[in-house]
Amino acid sequence: MALVTIIEVENLSFSYSRDEKTLENISFKLHRGEILGILGPNGAGKTTLLKLILGFLRGTGRIKVMGTNLQKIPRRRLARILGYVPQEHHIVFAYRVIDYVLMGRAPHYGIFSMPSRSDYERAYRILEELGLANLAEKTIAEISGGQFQLVLIARALIQEAKILLMDEPVSHLDISNAVKTMELVKKLVAEGKVLGVIMTLHDPLMATLYCDKTLLLNNGMMEAYGSPSEVLRPDKLKKVYGVDFDIVKYNDRFILVPVVKNISNHDN
Amino acid sequence: MKTLYKVLIVFSLPLSIILSLFIGPYPIPPLKVLGILFNAITMHPDLSTPAARIVIYYRLPRILAAALVGVALSISGASLQSMMRNPLVSPYVLGITSGAALGAAVALAFLPLFIPVELVAMITAIAAYLIVVAIAWGWGRGSIISIVLSGVVVNALFSAGLSLAEFFAPSPNKVAAIVFWLMGDVGQAGQWPDIVRMSAIIIPCSIVLIMARWRLNILSLGDDEARSLGANPTYERLFFASISALITAAAVSYAGIIGWVGLLIPHIVRLLLGSDTREVITYSLFLGGTYLVLADDLSRALTSQVIPIGILTTIMGAPVLIILLRRAGRVWR
Repeated sequence: MALVTIIEVENLSFSYSRDEKTLENISFKLHRGEILGILGPNGAGKTTLLKLILGFLRGTGRIKVMGTNLQKIPRRRLARILGYVPQEHHIVFAYRVIDYVLMGRAPHYGIFSMPSRSDYERAYRILEELGLANLAEKTIAEISGGQFQLVLIARALIQEAKILLMDEPVSHLDISNAVKTMELVKKLVAEGKVLGVIMTLHDPLMATLYCDKTLLLNNGMMEAYGSPSEVLRPDKLKKVYGVDFDIVKYNDRFILVPVVKNISNHDN
Repeated sequence: MKTLYKVLIVFSLPLSIILSLFIGPYPIPPLKVLGILFNAITMHPDLSTPAARIVIYYRLPRILAAALVGVALSISGASLQSMMRNPLVSPYVLGITSGAALGAAVALAFLPLFIPVELVAMITAIAAYLIVVAIAWGWGRGSIISIVLSGVVVNALFSAGLSLAEFFAPSPNKVAAIVFWLMGDVGQAGQWPDIVRMSAIIIPCSIVLIMARWRLNILSLGDDEARSLGANPTYERLFFASISALITAAAVSYAGIIGWVGLLIPHIVRLLLGSDTREVITYSLFLGGTYLVLADDLSRALTSQVIPIGILTTIMGAPVLIILLRRAGRVWR
C-alpha cells in the first residue's frame, strides 16, 4: 500500500509569550495506519503540539489535515476528522457514561438539535464492543481512571473521527489498563476504524511496543523523528532526559531500561 | 423512581397554581374558585361578584407572576451553571441583580412616580450585564474566570452605587421603599399587563435555552473539549449568557431580588435526576415555578402581613439543600 499522508506538519513554531518559543520548527508526517508517539520531558511542548494540530492554538508554519490546510477547515468539519482524547481531567458534572459518550455526536448536529434514537443505539453498541456495556448507566464519578480512558475513546469513535489525538492516554493508568488501552488503539488502527493516531507519551517502553513512529521533543525543538528504534537510543534519551539507559534485547526489539546505580542485589 | 420524580415535578406546577388560588384573606370556597377559573379559561369570565374579581384580578396574576419568576430564575441558573462549568453559579453572577437594584433604588428615591421602577431597573440591569460582557469578552476572551471576575467587579461597583442612592435618598420613607424592593415581592408584578410584559421576554428566551439544552452539555465539558466537538465556546457562551441575562433581568426588575431559587433548584433536580443538562433545564423550569408559587403562598398566609418572598426562599431553601447534600457524592466529584 502506498504511503498516504493524513497529517502534515511543516516548520511549525509557536510561543505563548514574546520572549520564549514553546515550539520551534517542528516538521513531521503522519501516514495512514500509523501510531505516532510524541515523547519528551515535562514542559517540552508535547501537549502544545497536540493543541496546535487540533486548532485550539494557532502558530506559524503549516499544518495540513487530510491534504487541506488546517485554517481552511471549518471547526465542525474538523471535529468530524480529528478526535481529541484529553488527559484525565476534572469533570464538574457527573454525567452518565452513556450520555457522555453520546456527546461525541455533537459535530454531526447543529446548536439546537438533540441526538437521535439511532445515536443512542450506536453509543450502546460501541460501549459493548469495548466491553463497557455494564458501565453505561453509571456516572463518570463512579468509574475508574482506566475505564474513563476507554469511555473517552468510545466518545471519539461515535464522533466518527478518522484520526485520534490522545494526550497522555496511559500515564496515569496501571500497567494492565495501560496495555488494554494501547492494545485497543492498535486494534482500531489495524481494523481501519481509525486512520491514524498521534499520542503524547511519557514511557519510552510504550512507544517501543506500540508506536510506528516517534517524535522526541526537547525544549520545544525536535530532537529526533523516525521509527522507535532510530529515535529511542540511549545517547538521544540521555541528552533529553539526562538519564543513562541500557539496551535490552526483547524478541526482535530493543528495549531501553534506565540504569540504576547502586542497585542492591536481592539474591544475596 | 426517576420517572416518578419527573411526573411529580411536572404536575406539581399546575397543581400548586390551582391550590394557591384557594389561599387568601377573603374566604372563597374552592369549588367556587374552580368555577370562576373555568369561566375565565372558556373565555366567559363573569366579573360581577367580588369573589370573581379577587380571583381574576388579584390572586391569579400574582400566582402566575410567582410561577413565571420561579421559572425564569431556575432556567437561567441551570443554564449558567452548565455553560460556566460551575455548580456555584447563580443567575446573579452576571451583575444583573446589583444593576437592577441600583436602577430601582434611583427610581424609587429620585425619579418622578410616573416613571416605572421596573423599566429603570431593567435598563440598569442590562447596562450592568453589558459592562460585564465588555470586560469579559473584550479583554478576557470570554473565558469563564474572566466572566466571573468581571461579574464580581460590576456587582461591587453597582452595590456601592446602591448604597450611595440609599445614603442620599431624600426621606426615610424612600429608604424603606428601597429596602423593601430589595427583599423581593412578586406582588409588585401582580398585574395582568406586568405578566404579559414579563412573559414576552421570559417565554421566548426560555424556549431558546430549552432547545439548546444538549448544547449546554457540550459547553460544560470545558473549552478545549467543546472545540474538539465542533463548538465555538467563546461565542456560544456569549449568546447563551445573554439569553440567561435577559431572562433574569426581566424577573428581577419586576419582582426584586429573590435569592437562592436559581442556585438551589437546579441542584435539587441534579440530585434527583442526574446531571444531564437536558433534564436539569427542563425539570428546573417546573420545579422552580412550583417552588416560588409555594413560597409566595407562605409569604401571604403565614402572618397578616405579607412577608417578603426573598426571605422565605432562603429560609425554605437552606434545609432542603442540606438534606439533599447527603446524596451529593454520586453527583459531583
